[in-house]
Amino acid sequence: MFEDRQDPVERIVSHVRHPVRIDPALDGRVMQEIARGESVRAPGAAVAGWRWLIRPRQFAVSPLGALALAAGLAALMLALPRRGPRSGLPAEAARREFQFVVVAPRAARVALVGDFNDWDATRTPMRPAQRGGSVWTAVLPLSPGRYRYAFLVDGSRWLADPAAPHVHDDEFGAPSSVVTVGGS
Amino acid sequence: MGIENVGTSDGELVRCVLAGDTGAYGALVARYRDRLGRYAVHMLGDRQDAEEALQDAFVRAHRSLARCDDPERFGAWLYGILVNRCRTTGGRAARRARLFVRDDAALNGVPLPSPAERAEWDDTVRWALGRLSPEYREAFLLKHIEDLEYEEMAQLTGAGISALKMRVKRAREQLQVIFREAERV
Repeated sequence: MFEDRQDPVERIVSHVRHPVRIDPALDGRVMQEIARGESVRAPGAAVAGWRWLIRPRQFAVSPLGALALAAGLAALMLALPRRGPRSGLPAEAARREFQFVVVAPRAARVALVGDFNDWDATRTPMRPAQRGGSVWTAVLPLSPGRYRYAFLVDGSRWLADPAAPHVHDDEFGAPSSVVTVGGS
Repeated sequence: MGIENVGTSDGELVRCVLAGDTGAYGALVARYRDRLGRYAVHMLGDRQDAEEALQDAFVRAHRSLARCDDPERFGAWLYGILVNRCRTTGGRAARRARLFVRDDAALNGVPLPSPAERAEWDDTVRWALGRLSPEYREAFLLKHIEDLEYEEMAQLTGAGISALKMRVKRAREQLQVIFREAERV
């Protein structure tokens, strides 16, 4: 690999200057996301209604009316469900990203299947790290827990992870592996 | 800054977008997709991460387009956003656990096509750059991919000129060492 006598650093420099082709589909994804963001930002009827509701106003209230209003507001506060300001956050914060990598040189498509996606081969397709390459990857956020998983190559061939503990899946009869995500 | 434009200028396109023609932004995305992608791919060492970083940089840039002080230098401004985005992605990727599997049956059963030298160098370069610290890799790539002046690099990264010169120098020295060690193996 290094028999070339040219200075390796200069070879790297000339290599990184080669054009890199990024999938033109990225343009569509960018424009879609921008369009989505704009539609979210556009003030809709609900926003207009809220603005109308919170617009400053002046009310003339008699002492008796003020008392009734205060009682009504107190009843409303008691009736509202208690919502903790950070409800649901701890579980979300504990999620960690896992990169699954499989080398499958002849595969046309590879899917990651497991407990985390109900073993649905359509939900987590893996992508080749390079066009036409043999390394397939998928990144998945996982909450703490124990997950069985496998790789489904070309829709029919199951692959377990040789480096991970194996379990035998009684439901499907196919080998699978286990990943345990800690809570820390 | 080493990025050339053809056709309608960046400034004109930016003004069209700000005037409400969102489609004009598509022309800017197409113009800079590959040029900035080259930096992201080499900086992050992973094409998927690079595309995500690139997409996010384009979307963020659109969101803050009104803050682009000099629309004619949109490319340089966008590059700065991407450099920042790559820093965050790089940090997150490093914290990821990697689950690596080889399809040995497929590897043993079929003779793999002998990799072309270009593909071999892809791997070698990714491996060598991956062994540099992110700061050194960033400085090395900004200097050598775009041929930036140190003043421009300082504007993009927020680091001082002498620090950047030192990082590029150290990156080159470390790459020499990495390759010498690899030759001995």
